[in-house]
Amino acid sequence: MSTIASDDWRAKSANQTRLAFGQALLALGERDPRAVVVSADTQDLIGIRQFIARFPGRFVELGIAEQNAIGVAAGMATTGLHPYVCAYAPFITARSMEQVRNDVAYAHQRVVIGAAASGISLGVAGGTHHALEDLALMRSLPNMTVIVPADVEEAYEATLATAEIDGPVYMRLGGRTEEPTVTAAGAPFCLGKAVTLREGSDVAIIACGALVEMAVRASDALREQGIAARVLNMHTIKPLDRDAILRAAAETKHIVTAEEHRLTGGLGGAVAELLALEQPTRMRMIGMSDTFAMIGPTGRLRAKYDMSAESIASACRELLAR
Amino acid sequence: MNEPREALIARLEAHARQIRRDIWRALRAGGGGHVGGSSSAADILAALYFYKMNVRPQEPEWGQRDRFVLSKGHANAALGAVLAQAGFIDVATLDRFYQFESPFGMHPDIKMAGVEMCTGALGHGLPIGMGMALGARIQNMGFHTFVMVGDGELHEGSNWEAAMAASHYKLSNLTCIIDHNKIAQSGHLADLIGLDPLAEKWRAFGWAVREIDGHDMGAVVDALDALPYDANKPSAIVAHTVKGKGVSFAENTYLWHTNSVNGEVYERALKELGLP
Repeated sequence: MSTIASDDWRAKSANQTRLAFGQALLALGERDPRAVVVSADTQDLIGIRQFIARFPGRFVELGIAEQNAIGVAAGMATTGLHPYVCAYAPFITARSMEQVRNDVAYAHQRVVIGAAASGISLGVAGGTHHALEDLALMRSLPNMTVIVPADVEEAYEATLATAEIDGPVYMRLGGRTEEPTVTAAGAPFCLGKAVTLREGSDVAIIACGALVEMAVRASDALREQGIAARVLNMHTIKPLDRDAILRAAAETKHIVTAEEHRLTGGLGGAVAELLALEQPTRMRMIGMSDTFAMIGPTGRLRAKYDMSAESIASACRELLAR
Repeated sequence: MNEPREALIARLEAHARQIRRDIWRALRAGGGGHVGGSSSAADILAALYFYKMNVRPQEPEWGQRDRFVLSKGHANAALGAVLAQAGFIDVATLDRFYQFESPFGMHPDIKMAGVEMCTGALGHGLPIGMGMALGARIQNMGFHTFVMVGDGELHEGSNWEAAMAASHYKLSNLTCIIDHNKIAQSGHLADLIGLDPLAEKWRAFGWAVREIDGHDMGAVVDALDALPYDANKPSAIVAHTVKGKGVSFAENTYLWHTNSVNGEVYERALKELGLP
């Protein structure tokens, strides 16, 4: 069997997690003859034209029809195939939520959903194209694994790791915004195990996705002010790394969560639910408040809605000042 | 098949009668249920499971089996009845309809032997069946996938997403059977959202279509024998049926879409269906 030039996936991913997912599919196609890719008119969104050219018999374009895409993927999974659905996060979650719930989660089918353009990564597209509730929807489903890669290294490795998951997976991917790298090249992806990026005992910042890099910068800034802020990259929202969170709460007594998601039901919600029951801890949550975002470039919107290193650092200082 | 046609038809009609009796048996056990849409599907189910489909009741997960997806999942009493008769499940399961921890509820559950998918939320089965047909093609498997949809179910737009895509992919290994009993939960479809011209809609979406009387066993057998109707198209069978077929007081009324069934009602129904 021929092998794919393994080093150029980074260049082709261009620091965008959505493209890293597409590059990883190419490697999966080579490793797993049962891997099939389903597109909902998302060939360039996910960067799968290489896969299509290499494995034309294992690619299905279904057009702009997300409900059908999920149902078809579930049906294919029942025959022994391993479908990877390439889609827009806002549409594949909200519009086809019933298909994801019934056909995939309830029927426990091995379908991996690659959901690009999550959060406010398509900022200029407006609220119709923002996905700020997708984590809440997906993590409420039994059987579902929910992963939020922080950068292309993690997105690539996490996608490869889905081959070992015997059940449905929601993989949250970004848009056309480049995300700085925080993960060491080639670092293995351990499902459900948070990655400690900074040590610290005064406060712990638990972040996912694009906010992880901001959390690292916040921690570095706080350190200059004499505050030791631990940073956990919580790349798996479900199953949640309870041990890492409870340890951080016990050792720092102060928790700040950070995510590009509405504050209801996402990472912050998951952490708060755990701590409220197991170990009540002072918290602050960084993310989208109970509102729809306005139109604008992603960077400007993140700053406006307090999803920034500065806001994370401020939240830590406020929490410690109480 | 060496079976003479007359004998075949008589055998399948006997199976259909038993399915109808078992539908009422299950509904009595559950205290009620979807009489109308279960009974309208009985003849087609008999022909699929006791004539057309290649399945192994003792090996329900056999990879090459033909697939059947009951998209109109509320007719699960009929599916349970045929699966029991075919030997996928114990006949005693019929008496556990709606019961605590039973595998046999109002809608099909993949955990029950012979059930291919959890259905009942309408508009799901055709996309799923299309995925199965694609799975067969991609893996060079020869099985055929049958999906039964209700006519009222066709109000759901997801059916037409799948209809459009299945013809694009020329899935001649996929057949959609429309149980066209013309009545939904609230009344006649013509008074809700009409479907006519139904066969033309499917043809316009690129399907090869036959219209039959879904209670004429000879016509059902002929329609199944002739599949696929076009080597480059998925097939649709518009089966004209009678809601509640077989029991006079339940026929052709939305009041028996779903209704309570007690012992007395059960006895009256069984008298009309002929005791076994």
